Amino acid sequence: MTNQTKSQFIAVASITSELSAVMVVAKEISLAAANAKAIAFRAGDKAKGFQPITDFINELAKETIELVTNINIYALVLYRLTVNEFQKTTAYNKFEAAAKMAEGAVYAKSMQDPVDQAKLSMQDCQRQFKRDVSQLLGQLEAVMHHARAARVIAANSRIEASQAGEYLQSLQAVAESVDKAAHTIHDNVQRCRIALSIYRNS
Amino acid sequence: MKMTKIYEGSHQWIMFGRDEGKPNNIIDTNQYVVRTPNRCLLLDPGGAELFAPMMAAVLHHAPVDQITDLFASHQDPDVISSLGLWDQALTNAKLHAPAIWEGFLRHYSCESIEYVPIPDNGGTIKLESVELQLIPAHYLHSSGNFHVYDPQAKILMSGDVGAAIEAPDSPIFVDNFAAHVEKMRYWHQRWMPSNQAKRVWIERVRNLDIDILAPQHGRMFKGDDVKRFLDWFDALQVGIAV
Repeated sequence: MTNQTKSQFIAVASITSELSAVMVVAKEISLAAANAKAIAFRAGDKAKGFQPITDFINELAKETIELVTNINIYALVLYRLTVNEFQKTTAYNKFEAAAKMAEGAVYAKSMQDPVDQAKLSMQDCQRQFKRDVSQLLGQLEAVMHHARAARVIAANSRIEASQAGEYLQSLQAVAESVDKAAHTIHDNVQRCRIALSIYRNS
Repeated sequence: MKMTKIYEGSHQWIMFGRDEGKPNNIIDTNQYVVRTPNRCLLLDPGGAELFAPMMAAVLHHAPVDQITDLFASHQDPDVISSLGLWDQALTNAKLHAPAIWEGFLRHYSCESIEYVPIPDNGGTIKLESVELQLIPAHYLHSSGNFHVYDPQAKILMSGDVGAAIEAPDSPIFVDNFAAHVEKMRYWHQRWMPSNQAKRVWIERVRNLDIDILAPQHGRMFKGDDVKRFLDWFDALQVGIAV
């Protein structure tokens, strides 16, 4: 197995690992939203500005979970494609070696067709892999967009929390947890994108 | 890869082995080819490492599109881990292999090759006018194991039975049975798990008219050495690791 193939396997496998962490964090945001909603309800008029924000947070968490679920399915497809590409590349290399070793054999020429077919299959896999990586990067960008939106919401939450009197601390804690979660999602997804982006144009 | 024609009649048997390009840390194997006018059967075609030299060697005897059949005596990697590569090279081929190993062997990838499961009681492979018998050899050493007998050529391809670990440049036939015994003893005692299975197999094989006993490793047995081997194996206690 070449170093590039090894890196490709690791990159694809690491997506699932990074995204499972994102999923945990997105669920935490969802919980934070439920918690914030309860606090805002108790705070009444003092947290009036905070109430619609909780709905945004919840919606954002749900969308993130949905996106990550889809990306995980897609990552599995990409992993299978990586395995397939590895098999096709191995076959092509072995077929070429066989054709070379068979030079001078009576039926050496009959190996040409399998070599050509293996080369085509391998190139098809490589093209498909690049296409799928581009699509996956697009989906990851959507998660990043959600993470950025979550940070804006967290900033707004802090402002609204500052006007919530005795509920200030509780609501600020909610804002902090949303902000922290958004950071984590951003960083994990960014790592996925860096790992994959080299294959988009390779 | 050394190629030796061991039978020439209405069809041919060719033995392939002693591959000088083989990595040192993998076991040396014998592959056999049965060639009829328009078809070609590979018996225990070997591991993935061996695919290229084996394919290149076969091309001295048959074009790729006439490699129509593969046979795997059992599931071991040195027997058939090249399956995934044959599967991509051959467009119209069948794999004859023990039925009980089907779900396992498919892990090597078997998409275009048709898996023909051999039932426990054996069967036949028809290769144009040649009919080969699939002789049950279960538990020798694998729990689902077959040998191939050709009544015309009087050759029994005996898988791991009769095998020995040899130097890469050793002759292909046993030339001194007494001296060869020590190369086989531990192999058979350690790899073969069942004295009962061994007795049943010997009884079955003694009824066959065999000129050449052709194992998957080491040297082949010819003429009187076939009977000598059966007698020696009959007296050997196997399954010593328990």
